Amino acid sequence: MSEFWNPYASLAGRQRRILGVGSVLAVLLVWSVIAASGLVSSTKLPAPWEVVAALSYLSWHEGQSMLLTATLWSVGRLLVAGVLVIAIGIPVGICMGAAPRVNAALSPLVDPFRSAPVVALLPILVMWLGIGETMKIAFLFIGAVVYLIPMVRDAIQAVPQNYWIGARDLGATPWECIQRAVIPMAMPRIADAVIVAFSVMWTYITVAEYVNARQGLGQLIQNARRFSAWDQVFAGIMVIIALALATYQGMVWLKRRLYPWETQL
Amino acid sequence: MTGGVGPAATVTPAAKPLSVVLENIVQEYPAAGGGMTRVIDQVSLRFDRPGINMLLGPSGCGKSTLLHMLGGVRPMDVSTPSAGQVLIDGVECHGPHDDAVMVFQRYANRPDLTVFDNVAFPFRLKLWKSLLPEAEWRQRVADMLKAVGLADKQGLRPAQLSGGQNQRVALARALVLRPRILLMDEPFGALDAQTREEMQGLLIELYQSRPCLVVFVTHDVTEALVLGDRVIVLSTQPARVADDFVIDEPRPRSAAWQRSRETQALEERILNQLHQASPGKGQVRVTV
Repeated sequence: MSEFWNPYASLAGRQRRILGVGSVLAVLLVWSVIAASGLVSSTKLPAPWEVVAALSYLSWHEGQSMLLTATLWSVGRLLVAGVLVIAIGIPVGICMGAAPRVNAALSPLVDPFRSAPVVALLPILVMWLGIGETMKIAFLFIGAVVYLIPMVRDAIQAVPQNYWIGARDLGATPWECIQRAVIPMAMPRIADAVIVAFSVMWTYITVAEYVNARQGLGQLIQNARRFSAWDQVFAGIMVIIALALATYQGMVWLKRRLYPWETQL
Repeated sequence: MTGGVGPAATVTPAAKPLSVVLENIVQEYPAAGGGMTRVIDQVSLRFDRPGINMLLGPSGCGKSTLLHMLGGVRPMDVSTPSAGQVLIDGVECHGPHDDAVMVFQRYANRPDLTVFDNVAFPFRLKLWKSLLPEAEWRQRVADMLKAVGLADKQGLRPAQLSGGQNQRVALARALVLRPRILLMDEPFGALDAQTREEMQGLLIELYQSRPCLVVFVTHDVTEALVLGDRVIVLSTQPARVADDFVIDEPRPRSAAWQRSRETQALEERILNQLHQASPGKGQVRVTV
């Protein structure tokens, strides 16, 4: 216990897992007890086993998997929006970080949206783009890109000046300095920005699929809610959390593989 | 690139006479309470042959600023110099030019590149790519790595090297371009005493195999006496040339020479000059 308050102490992997699994089990236990005691009616709080049953029903029923179809649709939309976010957001962020004039011109257009109610844009997007896929992709794109661009800019600006000066002194043109010294050094933090962008998109996916979705996890939840199938609502939320977590872990793993030198700075 | 000073000059060194001139350099910065603070006052220096020239002065006296002027590398938001001229081969120098290469105390090795790629970095830039075929620069990089004793480490990354080895990488990256002018900004200041001595020895070896004009900034009196053909002592606040003398002793300079009465007298002379020029301001270091 002498090591209890110590942010630098490292826990053994086994101990960390026991504590983590233990706290999840504790929540499940409390949840089960409340559900079984009948204190809260099962229409308001489905029991854990009811959620598991709903998951299995959604995964496979009458020769088809509603869950798989919905997941593929949501993942597809997320990927399309993600590719757009990366293809547009990273170059814009790099230009803003690398050229103060571009930053001065664009930051009043980008920065305020970080704290803007992006969800409130949904009706406007529907008005402009209709209720089809374009609107959903555009919503995910806007929601994520307003986080990505400032983070990429900050990543560029955080590269120590001595790399720029050093390259310049060796005869690099200003653009070569950006391209060959600054951007490579900013890559780990740009990767962090992409990871955040994908997390943001997972939180917005249900909102994006709220309007007139015929497929997708958001639609699945929305539909279940309409029929008061709360076990399925819970199941849907858990699937989204699991997918978002898997995306995050996968991307963090990939980032560590690509930029192993980051921790050595 | 400064007009008239072509990169070809660097590839064939010593093809033309060398001339580096600082003329009546004045540098002022906006002071905290309004007005201007003069940090460099009427400094004029002239270098016209290969040699190791030591710019010696207390920390923060402006010697690095002078060196940066020679390299054409400027701090971002101040225009330097406030008055006076920097002339390289008679041409006024306004920006980075390829006659001079700098070595910094913070060596700026790229953590994501191997030792080989760090040294080869300049040859991937347009300027040098157009001047040297790949086979040739690869050979040059390999030779340079051998010369600084890192041939067996060329596949490692900076984090796997010691501070001294990292500074060898930085030195190799500068010298692989065979510059006519090598500018060193307290390059060994962050190293421990023993490594610093090793690096001084290495610099002497490399210099003797290919002499060029070296301007070496230091606040270490011993370093100045061990390395310098010429020692320029700068006072501080503002920086003025307090002393400027030549040391004829051939390098490497023995421990006996360093302990000799003649050397002790030089050391005393430097400390006296500094004390007279700027009493109570700044510190120089004497390593034993």
